[in-house]
Amino acid sequence: MSQVTIKNLQKSYGQVDVLKDINLDVEDGSFVVLVGPSGCGKSTLLRSIAGLEPVDGGEINIGGRRVNDLPPAKREIAMVFQSYALYPHMNVEKNMGFGLRFADTPKEEIAQRVNEAARILKLESLLKRRPRELSGGQRQRVAIGRAIVRKPQVFLFDEPLSNLDAALRVNTRVEIAKLHKLLNATIIYVTHDQVEAMTLADKIVVMNQGRIEQTGKPLDLYYKPANKFVANFIGSPAMNMLDVEVTGKSEVRTSDGAVFTVRLPKSIPNGEKLTLGARPEHVSLALPGKGITGHLDLIERLGEIGYAHIDLPQGQRFLVEVRGEPKAVKGQQVGVTLDANNLHLFDSSGQAVTPI
Amino acid sequence: MDRGNFARVLAFFLLPAVLIYSIFSIYPLIATIFDSLYQRHEGGPMTFNGLNNFRTLLGDETWSKPFWNAFRNNCLFFLIHMCVQNPIGLALAALLSLPRLRLRNVYRTLIFMPTMLSVVIIGFIWQLILSPLWGIWKMLLGALHLGFLFGPYLGQEGTALITVSLISVWQFVGIPMILIYTALLAIPDELVDAATVDGLNQWQTFFYVKLPLIWPTIGLVSVLTFVNNFNAFDLIYAMQGALAGPNFSTDIMGTLFYRTFFGNQLQLGDPTMGATVATMMFLIIMVGVMIYLFLIQRRMQRYAF
Repeated sequence: MSQVTIKNLQKSYGQVDVLKDINLDVEDGSFVVLVGPSGCGKSTLLRSIAGLEPVDGGEINIGGRRVNDLPPAKREIAMVFQSYALYPHMNVEKNMGFGLRFADTPKEEIAQRVNEAARILKLESLLKRRPRELSGGQRQRVAIGRAIVRKPQVFLFDEPLSNLDAALRVNTRVEIAKLHKLLNATIIYVTHDQVEAMTLADKIVVMNQGRIEQTGKPLDLYYKPANKFVANFIGSPAMNMLDVEVTGKSEVRTSDGAVFTVRLPKSIPNGEKLTLGARPEHVSLALPGKGITGHLDLIERLGEIGYAHIDLPQGQRFLVEVRGEPKAVKGQQVGVTLDANNLHLFDSSGQAVTPI
Repeated sequence: MDRGNFARVLAFFLLPAVLIYSIFSIYPLIATIFDSLYQRHEGGPMTFNGLNNFRTLLGDETWSKPFWNAFRNNCLFFLIHMCVQNPIGLALAALLSLPRLRLRNVYRTLIFMPTMLSVVIIGFIWQLILSPLWGIWKMLLGALHLGFLFGPYLGQEGTALITVSLISVWQFVGIPMILIYTALLAIPDELVDAATVDGLNQWQTFFYVKLPLIWPTIGLVSVLTFVNNFNAFDLIYAMQGALAGPNFSTDIMGTLFYRTFFGNQLQLGDPTMGATVATMMFLIIMVGVMIYLFLIQRRMQRYAF
């Protein structure tokens, strides 16, 4: 059993709290991705789990064992670093077996485990090479191999794909997903790339300013963001936001008079200010006068789809996903209609307003 | 860019450096080597002498004894630097790079300070400290009940060279420290983290991860030490005088050259023999550097992180 449980974890650098009351459960065999903007504390959290950063409060349990006071090597974790951190003066074989040497593992067993990992990662022909004779993708695999030979309870990945080029990144992403299935490993993975998060994770943890904003399955975060931050962060391009006012039992109005029917909880009184969120893929262009009105500024064409950038009178920008060739031209007035089933409402504190 | 233009651009960028380097380095070197092939006659012109000057220097006992003495002393001088200065510099650099060290910059500056002082000042300070009459070293040893260890170190043939060498070590230990410290700083933190996760303690991380990565820098420091030591002159001259006493026990190549070329007390200056000694110094240093370049550096790998 290699679940990880984190309770009330606190950490600060002097006056700055970098981790605030973190609670997190990572089930055995699951793939958990920590995601958030730079400086949100995700890497610090990962390094705290690894034991590379001391914590100021709370508890970290790995496999049911409290590891707060154990050094990294005794925590039964393995870590894959962003820069891979391979030892430049050792060949692939030695790099992978290095940790085991210091754990007094018999030579035959080291060789056997290294060969096993090399087989899984298709590194057999590279065992005698030095890191600098390897490509970025190969180095990445060696770094993962070094983690595998340790037979850890938990794998920790710190932005492992950010040093790879785009094509290789997609490949390696798939490899990591396969590896997770193959090894049935528990993985905690840090990234700032939400595509990685969405595609790899069983569970995503969205962090912001040292706090966990929301934890959940990838699509849950996408369809039911708990707050404005998550709504903005998950999904690309980001969700459109509009300030609205409640004008009826199931009706909100924008400042320039467009009215939308939404599902509201009963407790919300008329006149309450809310934020309406709609993803670009859930809104569509319409004739002027329908929905909200704005001017078409430009259309970004990505191929199968495009994004129409609409300037609203309030000075906001609204992105609309379009398919095919829209007839509207730059500067023309257009309407934007929203899909009532795919709207999000947030109160003034940024929390999602969910209909009851 | 066509060929003629390219040559002109090339000349424009290279000429200043080539010119200065030639005037102040290459020309004197070649002139010295030429001088060593001539013989000087009192009041007359110099005549070509072939390799006879070298034969005299290495074969005639009045010349060869001081020469080999200076060479031996110089080797010991170098050995003491290699075995004392560089390991201490390495240790200090390792200490300075400890993540939890406080006042790092203070230590760094203080240890580097003597390097910036004039050799004359260093020599004078240490003569005062070690003075058998009222030196503070004698009082210190006395206070520690170790007075029996005291001796006129600079005045005894057996101890003078070692003492002067150690003073030089004290002065220049900052240079290997700074160079090695910089190399240690270039090692990425993630590599040290990886070693920590692999279960290495700080000692093991140093010996198995950091040290192999800084060998090239240690090699560079060794070559610099070698070249500087075989070119050394000033500290000996400042502390022991041009005669490098007592009884030439601190005489090294530099002081031997000085006396030969410029003359000293009863010895007349002899530019051609001086040039011969200087050429020998050049050859010794060249052979040493060659050995390093072709036998050692080729086997070392530099690592880009």
